[in-house]
Parts: sequence; structure tokens; C-alpha cells
Amino acid sequence: MPIDATNTAESSRSRGKGRPRISETAVPSLVQILNLIRTGRASTRQELEQKGELGRAVVADRLQLLSDLGLVDESELGNATGGRAPRLVQFSGRQGFILLATLDQTSIGVGVSDLTGKLLTQHHEAADLTAPVAQLADRLTSLFNWCLERQATPTAPWGISLSVPGTVQAGRDDVFMTTTPTTLPAWEDFPLVETLTRQFGVPVWIRSSVETMTMGELHAGAGLGRRSILFVKAGRRIGAGIICDGQLYRGAQGAAGLIGALPVVSDGVTGTLDVMAGSDMIEREGRNAAQSGRSPVLADLLRRGAEITAIEVSQAAQIGDPAASAILSKSGHLIGQVVATLANALNPEVIVLSGTLTQTNDILLAGIREAVYGASHPLVTRDLQIICSQMGSSAGLVGAARVASEALFAPAFLKDWILHGKPTLHPDFVNFRARANKAELPPPTHLPPSDPGRNAP
Amino acid sequence: MIFGLGPHGERASPPERVSLLPEDMAAAKAATRRVAIVLHTLDGDWTKQQISGMLGIFGDCGVVVTEVIDCGFSADRQVSELDRLIVAAPDAIVALPVANEHVAAAFQRVSEAGIRLILLENVPTGLLPGTHYTSMVSSDNFGLGKMAAAGLAPHLLEGAAVGVLGFAADFFATNEREIAFTNWMQINRPDVRSHVQRFGAMDEASDLALQMIADDPNISAFFVVWDTPANAVAARLQLAGHTPAMATVDLGEDVAIALAAGRQFVSVAAQLPFQQGVAAARTTILALLDRTVPAWIAIPGMSVAQSNVADSFQIIWRKPAPREALRLLGLAP
Repeated sequence: MPIDATNTAESSRSRGKGRPRISETAVPSLVQILNLIRTGRASTRQELEQKGELGRAVVADRLQLLSDLGLVDESELGNATGGRAPRLVQFSGRQGFILLATLDQTSIGVGVSDLTGKLLTQHHEAADLTAPVAQLADRLTSLFNWCLERQATPTAPWGISLSVPGTVQAGRDDVFMTTTPTTLPAWEDFPLVETLTRQFGVPVWIRSSVETMTMGELHAGAGLGRRSILFVKAGRRIGAGIICDGQLYRGAQGAAGLIGALPVVSDGVTGTLDVMAGSDMIEREGRNAAQSGRSPVLADLLRRGAEITAIEVSQAAQIGDPAASAILSKSGHLIGQVVATLANALNPEVIVLSGTLTQTNDILLAGIREAVYGASHPLVTRDLQIICSQMGSSAGLVGAARVASEALFAPAFLKDWILHGKPTLHPDFVNFRARANKAELPPPTHLPPSDPGRNAP
Repeated sequence: MIFGLGPHGERASPPERVSLLPEDMAAAKAATRRVAIVLHTLDGDWTKQQISGMLGIFGDCGVVVTEVIDCGFSADRQVSELDRLIVAAPDAIVALPVANEHVAAAFQRVSEAGIRLILLENVPTGLLPGTHYTSMVSSDNFGLGKMAAAGLAPHLLEGAAVGVLGFAADFFATNEREIAFTNWMQINRPDVRSHVQRFGAMDEASDLALQMIADDPNISAFFVVWDTPANAVAARLQLAGHTPAMATVDLGEDVAIALAAGRQFVSVAAQLPFQQGVAAARTTILALLDRTVPAWIAIPGMSVAQSNVADSFQIIWRKPAPREALRLLGLAP
């Protein structure tokens, strides 16, 4: 339950004249204690005293306040180690939840996570990112409404986190987004952040899908428990995500890992990796192979009126079509050459491959493995694993959840909302929301339906 | 054509992808593996056909089905049965998870015990293919929802209101059907207003439907996410003097008769449970032989209306349509 900061502070302890109010003095230790509990670094009062270097009375006082705010729970007992069993101090991760979405070139996924970033529910469906932006925003809003309706517990969303297929510049809107990044050309004029803030009344974060998927793999997939990961997403665009020392490396502008822009040479022609090895190349070469009859499987599909996309080429390769296999093998080798350079620079423990091209077959994986093992220092490849993601698009949702949960509890943001009990009462967000509510609405063609009575996606 | 995406956004693989070659069958026979089947219920034709499809293929390949377990729609019971099976240690378990978060840890314990897991229709959130389970076999539930909506739409007047009765449990298959139905209406019939409610227990569906009509008397049609509650809703509404057009998923006997009679039910999107059972068994066998299998195998649904109810019934249930349905269609005395 949100508590008025001043009242809480003044009612919890009476202070002498001239002494600072608790709201001014307690915040740093409240932030520290909450984050020690939330990140699992401390789970008993004794551990909080030791790791926080705080006195017993201070820990007891702050825990009482955090408990009143509903942010921690002390109802469970831990294991006794000789004496009385200690009372466990746990973060109340279900006090609120985070709405998540991942937008891809061919699909849209939505989900809900708790405040620890644990994914609770998800749904994915086909979508065309080249469709009018209003249509996509409308669908996103509808699916978020569906997620809200399905929440069994009467808690409210605390944030929205989006994963988008484009670079999101670092350094701007670090606390929460107040403007819509110009990630995709078609989205330039659409105030997505402002629209979602107005509609759902919560802060919004946006990161590139490569970054969120890399974080998803780190926290719940192939990178779990590892410190050094290279993530490669291969689709229409090819990008890499880098984890160094357990942290996502974003680069100065948030543009780290844009390997799709690197030049490569294939059959005497030079072009960017995106153009020479991405799904557009596979689709084009697959269509040629179908039309020329070099690929019997794809030619048969074409005769039956099917559209030849990279997915069809991948499936044909998987069932042994030689022309389709050659196309994917070429793509794998080109991607592998660039990935080998990165692997030699970073020396990762694991390279995780993801994206539409890796979902349906192992030939691309084999091509990449061959190129990386052939072009890397022996020490780099000695214990290196190169594997396909098992999380698929879920990685984007899990990573988006981590982005929001880390941002919500970042000390710089947390210190200004913790005494209010929830981030939507953060003074800066209250101001931004008021501005967003007053701002001129987008033109009707861009405006997602916002009928409050509508309860279906 | 498969319309939906898998539980992690995967593209569907067709059932042909898990075909068994003669050498696969010979290798399976030589190994004599044991498999347990854990289902939400053993009642109803859907379950019987799934089991029938599985048992035939397992029998052909010398795989012994040691148990077929009825969880009675209870998550607690499913958890205790899975824990018991970990001790019994079959080579594989084919299971339909009855819930999401409540059963996830138990399924994780099964995979940690080295037992191959093939899931039907649902994947608890957090479980990953290749790590916690081998593969998921299901209908194209998103396609079923679209199909039901497309079949119902011609029976809706301009500006009509539709009641949508979804399932309150967080369950992949029913979520997909509900989302696809409302999405199809939003895109293709934006004039139609959808009112969504969700039932927890099957007997709640009828009460909710009556309440929805009381709240909006303009509701002239209902979509219920599977046939058993849909049939109960239709009967209860009829008793109360309401005969809305009905759409649902699966062609149960009562629904087939109603469809044949042109009484309330006008659109049914049917699963093919026998074929799903066959695909699940083939996937299990390939997994036991350490062959690579896709993360998601989807079986397309079948759109059923009055005109094709008799032959569709035979394809779906592998038995003749109910006598009453044939009589109503003028195909039997």
C-alpha cells in the first residue's frame, strides 16, 4: 500500500527539533537494504547488518518501513544453524508486475513478469513490422489489455519494457523514457512512449532486441551462470550482443555489436553482412533455386503457390535439399567469419545463435561453427561452445523484464520513489505523465483505440 | 497452414517432420522403452482419441506404455503423480500440463531426473525446449480461434455483440483460441463488440453467460473455448429462453447433433486428436532414439459447419457421426 512519505516518516519515529526527518536520512539505507534483499545478497537481518555495515536498530527500523510499504516479507523461517531458525527477509516480487513486449520483423510477443524479472505468462503471434504503425500500436495496446485482464492478483503494472529491432541510443532518458527513440524509420512520427504512458500510467523502457535477447540468455538461457557471452541474432539483420564480466556491454552510443554493417566478400562481390548473409539473401537465392529447378523441394512449393521465404529455404535444407543447404551453408560461413573476429577479440565462454535463421535448421549452425573454429586462436576455441538458443523470442521478453526491473530499482531512480511505495508516484514520472496527458494526441490515423470499456484484444 | 506461433514464438513444424522410417521403428523395437502418459483427464473423446493414436504407434514400435494417469484437472494431483513417476523412472513421459506456474517445478524435476518429456497443448512458463522438455505437440490453437470466428461472422448482424467465454487458467491452448477469436473479429468485423469473461470451473461458464446477457441483452452469439462448457452454456441459455448463435472448438457428439439440427451451434473449429496422438508418439520415439526433433509440432484444425458435419465427425473421431445427427441431415432413417 502506498504511504505518504512525510506521514510515514514522521509517524514511524518522533524526532527531536533540528534533526533531519527520516525521509531525508533513511533513504540511502532503505535503497541499500532493499537492493541487498532483492538481488539475493542478503536474506536475514544478520546478513543485512554485515553486508550493509549497518546497525541492528537501523536494519530493524528500515525493514519495518519496507514491510509497511509491502516491498519485503519476513513471514518465512530459514534453516537453523545451531540456534533458533532465522527469519528470512524476502523481496515481495509480486507487489507489482511489468508488461513486456518484443517486436520483431515478423512477430510480436507480449508477456508479464514479476518485479524480479521472472516471466509469468507470454504470448507470441505473427505480425508484419512494415504494417502501418497505428495498427501495430493498436495490437500492442490490445495485447497489453489482455495481459492486464489475466492478472489474478489485484496488483498494478509498475512499468512497460519493449524490445525493438533497432538500436536504441544510450545516454538519453536513462531513468525512464520521456521520448520515443527513432529506432525504425516508420515509427519516427509516432509518440509510442507517450501513448503507452498515457494509456497505462507507468514508465516505459525500450532496448534493442539484440540487447534484450542477450540479457534473456544471460539470466534464463544458455548464458545462465556465465560471465562472458557472445550472442548473435541472424535474421534480416545480423547483430551481436556482448556480455563481459556478467554485464551487458552497450558501447558509447548503445550501438555495440552492429556486425551486420561490416563488409564481407562472397563470390567476388563485396557487400555488408546483412545483405550478403541475412534472410533477404536466403529468400532471394531460394526463389532463384526454385525457379531454375536447382531445388526440387522449393520448386515444388512454388508450383503449389507457396511463398518462398527464408523459413521455407531453412525447412528445405533440413530435409536434405542440396541447393537450400548450400544457400544456408554460404550464409553460415559468412556470419562465422565475422563472428570469429569478435570471438578472438572477446574470448567468450559461449556463442549463442538466435533469430529466424537458426530456429529451423542446423546447417547454418554448422557453417558458423566451421568458420569460427577454422579462424580462431586455439586458446579461444579450446572450451568454446557454439549453440543455438532454446529460448527463441522468450529471450527478448525475459531480457526486457530485466531491463525494467534493473531500472526500477536503480538507486538513482529508487531513492525518489521508495517512500511512496511505488514508482508511478516518483515526482519526475508524475510530472511526465501529466505532460503526456496534456500533450496533443497523435493524428486520428495514428491513434490506437483507447476505449476503456473495451476488454478484448 | 499453421497460423499460430509456439509458446516461445517458435515457427511450427508440420507432423510430417516426425515421420518414422523403417530403421527408426526397428531401432525402437530393439530398445524396448517404457513410456508413461499423464493427462488432465481421461474422460471425453478427445482424450480417448489422443491415447488411441499414441498407443497404436507405441505398439508398432515395441514401446511399452506403463501407465495412463488421470490428473482430474488437479494441479496438485499432477505434481504428486510426476513426483511418483520420477521414482518409477520411465524412459519418457508424455504429459499435458494442467496449469502453468503451479506445475512448472514438478516438470523441471522430471527433466532433471533424466526422463524425456513430450508436452501436449501447454508449456508452463519458464520451461525451455531442449533443456526442460524435448518437444511440444499441439493443435494450431490460434488457427482454431480464427476459424471459429470466421465461421460465426456470417451469422452476426451489423453492430452485434458477442460473448467470449475463455478459460481462467493460464493455459497456452485456450489463451491462443481466445486471443485469435477476438483478434479476427477486431480486424474483420470491427463493428462487432466482444465481451470477454473467463470461467475457472466448467459449471461457472453457464452462470457467466447468463450474467453477460443480463448485462448486455444485445449479445446475440457466444464463443466458448471448448465444446463441453459450450454445450452446457447452450443448454442453460435455451432453458432461460435465449438461443444465441454458438461457436466453439471441438466436435463433441452433442455439438455435432446441434450443428446437424441447425440449432444454436453454427461454427465449430475441430482439433484432430487422433493425429495429434500419432504425432506425439512419433516425436517421443524419435527423441528416445536421440534424433533431433522440432521444439513445436502443430497440427492444423478443421472447420466444421452443418454441411460437412457427418464426414468431419468420421475424420476427427474415427467412428460414424451420431445416429441422431445423420437422421437430422437426412442421411439415415
